Amino acid sequence: MSRHQVIIDTDPGVDDAAAILLAMASPEIDLLGISVVAGNVGLEASLVNACKLAALAGYCNLPVLAGASRPLIREPVLGKYAHVGRFADDLVPPTDLVPQPDSAIRFIAERAREAARRGGGITLCAIGPLTNIALALRLHPEVAPGIRQIVMMGGAFAALGHRTPWSEYNIHADPHAADVVWRSGVPLTLLPLDVTFQALFTEADFSAFEARDGVCGRAMAELLRAYDRSDEKRFGRPGGPVHDAMAVAWLLRPELFHGREAAVGVTTCGPTAGHSWADFHGVTGQSPNAHVIDAVDEAGYRRLVTERIAGLGATREAPEGREIVA
Amino acid sequence: MTATQIIIDCDPGIDDAIALLAAFVSPEFDILAITAVSGNQPVEQTVRNALQICELGGRADIPVYTGSHRPLVREAIRGQFHGNTGLGNTCLPAPIAEPEENGAVEYLVDRLGEARRTGELVTLCCLGPMTNLAMALCIDPKIADGIKRIVMMGGAYREPGNRTMTTEYNMLTDPHAAHVVFSSGIPIVALPLDATHQVILTPDHVKKFEAASGRISASVADLMAFWDRNQVERYGSRGGPLHDPLVIAWLLAPRLFKTKRARIFIEHESELCMGQTVADWYGSSGLAPNAEIVTQVDAAGVIDLFLDRFSRYNPDIAA
Repeated sequence: MSRHQVIIDTDPGVDDAAAILLAMASPEIDLLGISVVAGNVGLEASLVNACKLAALAGYCNLPVLAGASRPLIREPVLGKYAHVGRFADDLVPPTDLVPQPDSAIRFIAERAREAARRGGGITLCAIGPLTNIALALRLHPEVAPGIRQIVMMGGAFAALGHRTPWSEYNIHADPHAADVVWRSGVPLTLLPLDVTFQALFTEADFSAFEARDGVCGRAMAELLRAYDRSDEKRFGRPGGPVHDAMAVAWLLRPELFHGREAAVGVTTCGPTAGHSWADFHGVTGQSPNAHVIDAVDEAGYRRLVTERIAGLGATREAPEGREIVA
Repeated sequence: MTATQIIIDCDPGIDDAIALLAAFVSPEFDILAITAVSGNQPVEQTVRNALQICELGGRADIPVYTGSHRPLVREAIRGQFHGNTGLGNTCLPAPIAEPEENGAVEYLVDRLGEARRTGELVTLCCLGPMTNLAMALCIDPKIADGIKRIVMMGGAYREPGNRTMTTEYNMLTDPHAAHVVFSSGIPIVALPLDATHQVILTPDHVKKFEAASGRISASVADLMAFWDRNQVERYGSRGGPLHDPLVIAWLLAPRLFKTKRARIFIEHESELCMGQTVADWYGSSGLAPNAEIVTQVDAAGVIDLFLDRFSRYNPDIAA
């Protein structure tokens, strides 16, 4: 099996951390680099967090690069968990690792153009605002043909919003960039709130991260405990979603998910800027431009995430009676 | 006097070509590069045109970079008065030189970053949609500190638009890019239609340029003849407005221009008024001015200035 050549475009972020560690723990993925964008937290804190995660997982030569420090057009909006800031040193240890001097946008564009020249394509795992990817697509016409697919955590359709009543954060933070990327013609798979709300992580999962006493699993459990995402009123049961990891999980195990083809779009201006819509019933007559995931095998997803991250850098065997997800 | 370091960002375009030819023979400038952008023509064509004009003007030494292939957010629209190639009916040999390997946006990021570090600031002449500069500012906002000022052609204030009722072509093509640039805090000199419609290049002027321009006179005459709008009720005479060359004229002879400081806003949300430039002449917004807007031009002075410059292509006069 050929491995996915992946760049993770991210604004870490606690659930971004889960996505990054899941990718690092997965042999199906050849991680080319981490391109960082301002989003959940500011660019500087996001970069520190990305470096901390790379060091924690032993990926000391992985390119970590700074991208856009603000959205294309609109004023910056931070995430609901902006107070996370830099991951505290007692949760994720400090590191000397620093970002590469090059720009993340140029990195994405160059990797894509190289891939296009070889007749291949890279996969972009987009788990923050799409500013970097929109700029990379505009930089050279040959960038789009070198992107095999974009797998994005973002948007909200039937689930409605969370950052505002009508918008999911990654779209809300840079609707113009989302508009550019969604209309680019690059194959797009979306993991909207509709599906990320279906898998809730509780203390049982946090303990599962720690089952093999690995540094990555321990840090992940501590981060999720420190920044509680549960909302029993909204979800009707205990536990909180780990949004971003689902984009990586879909790449690893698409059979855990169900999705539909749809035309999707973004409102870029007016009072409901950041609203995302999907035409599931062919009302607009527009051709589908996205594969929109609408259901997940919750237990399978939680197990994939916890077991892979628990095993990352761990020396202790998996507990009796539980197999490592292959 | 040390020469002003300039980068010319443009989408040639007939009036861009006239601006470039005037700049080439002006020792007041050290032209670092030409960065071409999608605008009047697709970027492949504006790059080709820039290379051809450099070779026509004997300035193949100036590097030409390929810029963004389409506007930041909106679909591309093309110029209406530049003919099929962007250079009217002018017949020029295929360019010998190639554009630089690196892209224009990367070049702007690198070169303006260098200017910021050395403190030798660069002046940007923006003759087309502002996509390249906006992208460079998105990639590295710190490069704003490497720019001495932007002298741009675009917008329409008291004058109506030339592409829609409200909007000038460069602003309509990429209003989002203009919004990014006008929000950047970089000092800006704006040459809107209000200014450029004061300088009409009439058929009589064209004859004078043809007589003056020495070895490039045939090409100059072809370029300028094609520029005649033949719309007397709008412009007051035959001929076409000398849009982009006014950027070069302002840098060479600011005494020929009157300006007024104002805050400029770019409409980028309303389809009806998309790209409209709105100036806060009287401080209604409470925000500080971000530009000097040219309100009056000494048209005869500008024509004389350019006639003098174009005569430098005549070896008899130059010698």
